[in-house]
Amino acid sequence: MNLLRAQLTALKAALSRFWHSPLVSLFTLVAIGVAISLPASLYLVLANLDRLAGHLPTQPEISLYVSRDASQDQAKQLGQVLSGRKDLSKARFVSRDTALKNLVETGGLNDITAGLDGNPLPDAWVLTPADPDPAALEKLRAELEKLPGVAEVNLDSQWAARLQAALRIGRTLVGLFSGLFALALMAISGNAIRSQILARRDEIEVSRLIGASDRYIRRSFLYHGTLQGLLGGLMALLILLVLVAALQGPVAGLATLYASPFRLGFLELSEQGLILLLAALSGWLGAWLAVSRTLRQVDPN
Amino acid sequence: MISFSQVSKRYPGGHTALENVSFDIAQGELVFLTGHSGAGKSTLLKLVVAIERPSSGVVSVNGQNVGRLSRHAVPYLRRNIGLIFQDHKLLFDRNAIENVVLPLAIAGMERREALKRARAALDKVGLLKREKAMPVALSGGEQQRLCIARAVVSRPSLVLADEPTGNLDAEYAAAIMAMFKDFHRVGTTLVIATHDERAVGALGGRILRLEHGKVLESNRMGIKEDLPEAEIRTFANAGPRPDKASE
Repeated sequence: MNLLRAQLTALKAALSRFWHSPLVSLFTLVAIGVAISLPASLYLVLANLDRLAGHLPTQPEISLYVSRDASQDQAKQLGQVLSGRKDLSKARFVSRDTALKNLVETGGLNDITAGLDGNPLPDAWVLTPADPDPAALEKLRAELEKLPGVAEVNLDSQWAARLQAALRIGRTLVGLFSGLFALALMAISGNAIRSQILARRDEIEVSRLIGASDRYIRRSFLYHGTLQGLLGGLMALLILLVLVAALQGPVAGLATLYASPFRLGFLELSEQGLILLLAALSGWLGAWLAVSRTLRQVDPN
Repeated sequence: MISFSQVSKRYPGGHTALENVSFDIAQGELVFLTGHSGAGKSTLLKLVVAIERPSSGVVSVNGQNVGRLSRHAVPYLRRNIGLIFQDHKLLFDRNAIENVVLPLAIAGMERREALKRARAALDKVGLLKREKAMPVALSGGEQQRLCIARAVVSRPSLVLADEPTGNLDAEYAAAIMAMFKDFHRVGTTLVIATHDERAVGALGGRILRLEHGKVLESNRMGIKEDLPEAEIRTFANAGPRPDKASE
């Protein structure tokens, strides 16, 4: 009961410090919020790119366009050749009519295609190579180009694989930046706590003289640091919300141009919780380091 | 209750504040530490509450070797000792009652009970009507009484006072001494360091006279002899101020 009372007393003391210096507290919270929001916003961008790339095929695909001059027999023969190749794991035929239909349905180009005299698209084969190695793919592409009745061979989906690779680098960067900004947060929080301790130097000295232990003195400052981190984390989430709200319109507009229903997403609840937890933890750690160091400086002994 | 055995205290730089000091103070005694400024009175009090550690010798309080107490054990020692400072050491951003409540809050007492006891302590020193006053609004004498209320609110069995009447006029000093007399009557051990000769002897008790870091024995008749290592005898009735000529 005594311990619980001591915790509540320390918590009240920490809250009263926010109350008694609202402007300084606000500036500190904004600084912490900005420090957290930088890696968090990078994470949010990556999460959205990940979502965007999530439904794209990351396996390399080859689009083989049949020459418009090719006869039906040539096209059939080409199909048999492709189906028999061991370096292809899958071969799917897309007729020119199907291709035009898909274009109209997904591209929203109804008005344009209606004005055409005929179907300008060629028959095509969508091929999945067995070996995704870039050198093997290039070799395969060159071989396919030489087949009779082939107009053009394009390597698709490589950009998606590259995007995934870039996202992996981005995620690593988020990790590194998060670590750096956690240090910054600890420094900001610790410095704020240190100022608080020095401002209350007399109180600490008197309290020690009349029997306060270091644990007793430290407790309220640790609550202060933890609350500071937590509120700074909330501030960061608020900053991110404002960013997403500000970018939602332009992003939606851009997505519409590509006939995509894509909208910017916000962090999952679990991710928000993790940010708050890490912020509170960093605040606590910063406070602990600052209190331990500064209490030694104001030791009456 | 308090025992000094061959205690010396040397500060960095070579200044010797106390040299081979030995004495015992029993439970319930009233002891005056007298001597000029720099005689070692404050150092002696600081050794009792482990603000300073002895360079040699043993300081014990209630059987505990204070000089060897761990850093974590020191607060618990101090919670059982009431400290009264010449400069009061009040917290100027808290009102009178909050200053008095502080030791109880540190000890983890429930707030309602702590306030009740703080009011009783303020009443004892005649400041109950000023419980909401900020220290800056109190006179020097009232600030000292507030400091006394804070020192006794935990009902410690030992009270140490460092120059409690140093900055006060005769009337206030007499009132403070009357309070000490009351505390002594209920069995509190009081050690009062003072160079205020008006205070010494007015209450009876025992006088430990310090000079150049050594304890001299003193009584009504003045200082009898230099006994730096001797046990100091208790005087049932301390008399008027020691004769300066004999110091």
